[in-house]
Amino acid sequence: MTVNRRAFLKLAAGASGTLVASRASANAVASNSGVEPFGVLVDTTFCIGCRKCELGCNQNNRDLPRRDSPQFEDKRVFDTHRRPDATSYTVINRLPTVDTKGEPVFAKAQCMHCVHPACASACIVGALQKTPEGPVTYDAWKCIGCRYCMVACPFQIPAYEYANALTPQVRKCTFCYEQIVTQGSRPGCVANCPNEALTFGKRSELIELAHAKIATHRERYIDHVYGETEIGGTSFMYLSAVDFKALDLPEQGDTPTPALTEKIQHGVFKGFVPPVALYGLLGLVYLSRRKEEVENTAADKDEHHE
Amino acid sequence: MNSLFCRIPSLTAVVTTALVTSHAYAASAASKTLPPNVPPSMLSQPNCGDCHTCANPTRQDDCLNACPRHTKAHTTSSHAAKEAPDSFVIDKLAEQYAGVNFNHKLHANMSEMGQGCAVCHHYSPPGRIPACETCHTKVANPTELRQPGLKGAYHRLCLQCHREWSHETDCKVCHQQPPAGAQPKSIKDNGDIMGQSHPVIPVPEKRVYDTPYKAGPVVTFYHKEHVELFGLKCTSCHRHENCSYCHDLKKTVAQKKTMEQVHAICSECHEKDNCSTCHDTKERPAFSHSTTGWPLNRYHTELDCRACHPTGKPIGKLMRDCSTCHAGWKTENFRHAVTGVQLDEIHSGFECTDCHVNRKFTKPPVCTNCHDDGRTSKTNPPGKRVERKPK
Repeated sequence: MTVNRRAFLKLAAGASGTLVASRASANAVASNSGVEPFGVLVDTTFCIGCRKCELGCNQNNRDLPRRDSPQFEDKRVFDTHRRPDATSYTVINRLPTVDTKGEPVFAKAQCMHCVHPACASACIVGALQKTPEGPVTYDAWKCIGCRYCMVACPFQIPAYEYANALTPQVRKCTFCYEQIVTQGSRPGCVANCPNEALTFGKRSELIELAHAKIATHRERYIDHVYGETEIGGTSFMYLSAVDFKALDLPEQGDTPTPALTEKIQHGVFKGFVPPVALYGLLGLVYLSRRKEEVENTAADKDEHHE
Repeated sequence: MNSLFCRIPSLTAVVTTALVTSHAYAASAASKTLPPNVPPSMLSQPNCGDCHTCANPTRQDDCLNACPRHTKAHTTSSHAAKEAPDSFVIDKLAEQYAGVNFNHKLHANMSEMGQGCAVCHHYSPPGRIPACETCHTKVANPTELRQPGLKGAYHRLCLQCHREWSHETDCKVCHQQPPAGAQPKSIKDNGDIMGQSHPVIPVPEKRVYDTPYKAGPVVTFYHKEHVELFGLKCTSCHRHENCSYCHDLKKTVAQKKTMEQVHAICSECHEKDNCSTCHDTKERPAFSHSTTGWPLNRYHTELDCRACHPTGKPIGKLMRDCSTCHAGWKTENFRHAVTGVQLDEIHSGFECTDCHVNRKFTKPPVCTNCHDDGRTSKTNPPGKRVERKPK
């Protein structure tokens, strides 16, 4: 029994040691592979609310229910505030505010593809993954439907197919992963924007571009790029002429949402200390008990001899 | 109008800097798609010093000169609006939507009262004003994020004013709707002169030719009808003509053509026809469907010829009975409202032949089979009269 447990512990310690090592090396590869993450800069001052991004999204993501293009020309949808849901990964809203010229303000809502995504951190099976190219991808095969991601997301983006009784999935913007990574083209929403309010590119270059735009047109933009630092940065970033709160973008700190939880969790298991400490303690207890036992037995024997 | 021009100064600044940057200039000078009128020295061998002030520019400090595009030397002041065409079709990207009929004259006149041509033509070196697509590529250049693609450049220019001026951003405001059932125009179709930014040429209704053919000197050519009926482009027939065919003001005598040359274009389609198909002793009236023996009634006049003649060929032996073509119409699937009468609940349950005895739909229906007060459909319609809406 003792031998068995010892063997198991050895094995477990060895395995987890290897695991930690391999994880570390994997991370090193990801950060050194030279993949610069993609992003999208949403310049809301150019958005005219034509809903062509919604159309482009629907046409690109073949697993969404098909809609005809006239359905996306209906401007009456702006009368109500909408959120991305299981059937549409992106929506445009006309916001209850006007810009400096008195024109209506529109803003696109979709998954922000955070640099440190809370959904991926909360996902207990790794169905949501942050890819080195930027998109946060979803694997329906791994998903167990716990919906922790929906609770974790600071932008309340992941939607659930409640209407699907047998094979419901979590649904959110895919960033047209296949298209941008394997085909090198732009996401559907960006490619279909007639006014090029959306710019697709390397995230670092987009930040540069955003600040250059602000510097050149002080009168046009608020001096802030939403998503540059918010919750540790997002892949979709926004420029605006009006306060970002009016754009339906929540005020966020610069700390990544999963920072605290991950710190605790990862801290606890860092270097395999707690299990080693626990089993070490147990081992000490066992050894001391055993010593006592041996002494007691020896004493008994002595007694017996005597 | 006042409000528009009050806003133009800010607008110019926005448009100008949004569309070009000094870096774009440097990048494009090095590439093969050079903007015209770049100094020859830069064309042959781009000199770093033309754009950069220091020897080793870095990403952080690119030490760029002010872009020559922004300097006063490159302005459109030397041009007058009348040098440009009055109007043209912007359809370089026409795909989802038809091209835009752009009235250049109107816009030029408006801007002359304000900031001038530079409102739109933000880069205009001496000489001919370069076209937008000289710099703005059809797909936005991924290496130059500050420079919008051609689609973005077009839309931003138009919308910056239109959004503030008319508050209309609907696609249909500028894009003409393609006719129902028409194939979307291909981007590559520059075969027609209209596709090369030529202002729309009004199509003449008809042309009457006086020919030397003694037996029938008069040829009446219904030009518009030919174009619309057979979907012809200008170049389908006028492909051997050069610009001076229309633009030579001193042209006095028509060029002599041989008989073969004159007939060549027509006989491409009318190869089997004889002289009398076109030649007559007097001017001919336009085509009327009644000459075929069936004057079109109120429902059919609104249809396109091709709706019934998809191959362009006449239909022989047509019975004048509705059910010859519309055999499938029954009580369940016929929308009676198209006739101008929406049947009430009682009448909508009847068979067609209950009122239209012997399926004579062209004659007024018979009411006396059920009603013995001698009423007719005119005095007592079997439902509500509605506005007739053909499908």
